[in-house]
Amino acid sequence: MLKFIVKKLLQMIPMLLLISFIVFVGLQFTGIDPIYYMISPDMAANTDNIEALRELYGFNDPLLVRYFRWLGDLLQGNFGYSIVSGSSIKTVIAQRLPATLELSAFALVLSTIIGITIGIISAIKQNGIIDYIGRVFAVVGQAIPQFFFGISMILIFAIKLGWFPTAGRMSPEGVGFGDRLWHLVLPGVTLTLSMCAVLMRYARNTMLGVLNSDYIKTARSKGIPEWKVYLKHGFRNAMRPVLVILCFRLPMLIGGSVVIEEVFAWPGIGTILTQAVVSGDYPVILVTTLMVAAAMLVASFLVDVLTALLDPRVRIGE
Amino acid sequence: MELTLKEKRSASSSLMKKNIRKFLNNRLAMIGLIFMLILLFMCVFAPLFTSYDAETVDFTAMRAAPSREHIFGTDRLGRDIFARILYGGRVSILVGVVGAFSGSLIGMVLGSIAGYFGGKIDALLVRISELFQTFPQMVLILIMVAVLGQGLENLLIIFSLTGWMTTFRMVRNEFLSLKEETYVKVCEAFGMSKMSIMFGQILPNVMSPVIVATTVNVAGFILQEASLSFLGVGVPTTIPTWGNILNAAKSIDVVTNYWWLWLIPGLVITIFVLAVNFFGDGLRDVLDPKQQ
Repeated sequence: MLKFIVKKLLQMIPMLLLISFIVFVGLQFTGIDPIYYMISPDMAANTDNIEALRELYGFNDPLLVRYFRWLGDLLQGNFGYSIVSGSSIKTVIAQRLPATLELSAFALVLSTIIGITIGIISAIKQNGIIDYIGRVFAVVGQAIPQFFFGISMILIFAIKLGWFPTAGRMSPEGVGFGDRLWHLVLPGVTLTLSMCAVLMRYARNTMLGVLNSDYIKTARSKGIPEWKVYLKHGFRNAMRPVLVILCFRLPMLIGGSVVIEEVFAWPGIGTILTQAVVSGDYPVILVTTLMVAAAMLVASFLVDVLTALLDPRVRIGE
Repeated sequence: MELTLKEKRSASSSLMKKNIRKFLNNRLAMIGLIFMLILLFMCVFAPLFTSYDAETVDFTAMRAAPSREHIFGTDRLGRDIFARILYGGRVSILVGVVGAFSGSLIGMVLGSIAGYFGGKIDALLVRISELFQTFPQMVLILIMVAVLGQGLENLLIIFSLTGWMTTFRMVRNEFLSLKEETYVKVCEAFGMSKMSIMFGQILPNVMSPVIVATTVNVAGFILQEASLSFLGVGVPTTIPTWGNILNAAKSIDVVTNYWWLWLIPGLVITIFVLAVNFFGDGLRDVLDPKQQ
């Protein structure tokens, strides 16, 4: 098992390098010349100065040299600077990351609980009232644009009813936990509901598959109480694929809630990425992308380890 | 020979008749199809339904509430919302359809290659598709927008580059089992070229799930276009699309006081996407009963 884990961990490194290299090279083609962000417009007329600056900052070096310099800096903890605002990317991310983690973790936990519960109840009581509501909800939830749903929530619960704030992560005066939670509810619930649909469908289908299998019939024929059949035999086996799906959702913790953050003016990584794309701020795009990629690789690593733990055949096969 | 051909034809046509009947009996799918066609028809023949233009600015009627003159009201420049929804629908639907089709095309070609040849090329392509699939799609699209720049054509390229994975997977898996079939072995023994075996003989047998997946992708891409244009990185704002109309809802003032500016286009998107999804589910029941 240890060998398996180490091998999977080592496989992540070339992937990360490859992704960073592709994005780095790709962003070179955007035609943005960072030099014009560094100097005042009146200096731009003097081309000699610009050339000198280019040479100074190493923009004329070959692509590979620049890539490895950037990578070296990154490994030493120097994330570079935004070419639009000039602020240190490390500081910006340190400020914004907690907000995204908070929002996504809230939605991840809540949607898991709701999605799996409803999914399993609908599988047990197939064609019952909860199954019906859940199905309608899933179908409609997949058709509503996420941001449109968010805006409707703002209109109803923030503007008309005044229960929650319309935007932001905290009030200027209040800094307590209650204030944070109060701001978190609307964006959190919007994100939760948009994640629930898929999870619900998935949990329902897996549970249905499990309930139709032979060992459930055997368990029933042995006279085991119905609730025990569902919980001990059904639920446990249905959870494996659902856990896998959950791990695949982890990258969302870093970059998946882009639209929701924009709707609720939530100061997270998603808003940074959007702004960076709009303004062509490529050092920022590079670092945020790499963070999402790292999260993604960690997630798929977890999936591998988890399936290996749950299913010995995978381990032996490797 | 003549007889067998006729027999074959009548057999396939009766299967088709059966399938069409099955589809016609599926109430949700029919409702979806009808709504889809009505909206599509209204967008394509927009001048028949509105005398307004999507671009005509009218400063005497800025942000006018729905009335008999402007049934869905006007936006901040006095442009008629109903006209903008119809003309914008042309672009939005086009983006969804073209994006989904070209994505499926890429997926079919790569999936055929991976499934038929197997081995290293298969492993590589599967790895790439996994890479694409685990990245949150929105982030992937945003990076590509940053690389390629904003624009209608670029958005189509981006959608086809991010929408090929499901088709790829399905085609590849089907190919893996189909290439062991006798008819493939016979074709190989006859010395048919690999190209014509792959695309002429095997591929037609995997089209059903591909058609279904493409339909679902159309709906998905229409939603993506709306989200991207809402973020301000989708189709340039000079072109009316459903997403660009909804972009007005970024201001809290609009959300509070001018509901017709965002509620109506939002509902139109939802209804259209819902219709496409119902239609797609109906197609799946008919074409691909295995996957439900």
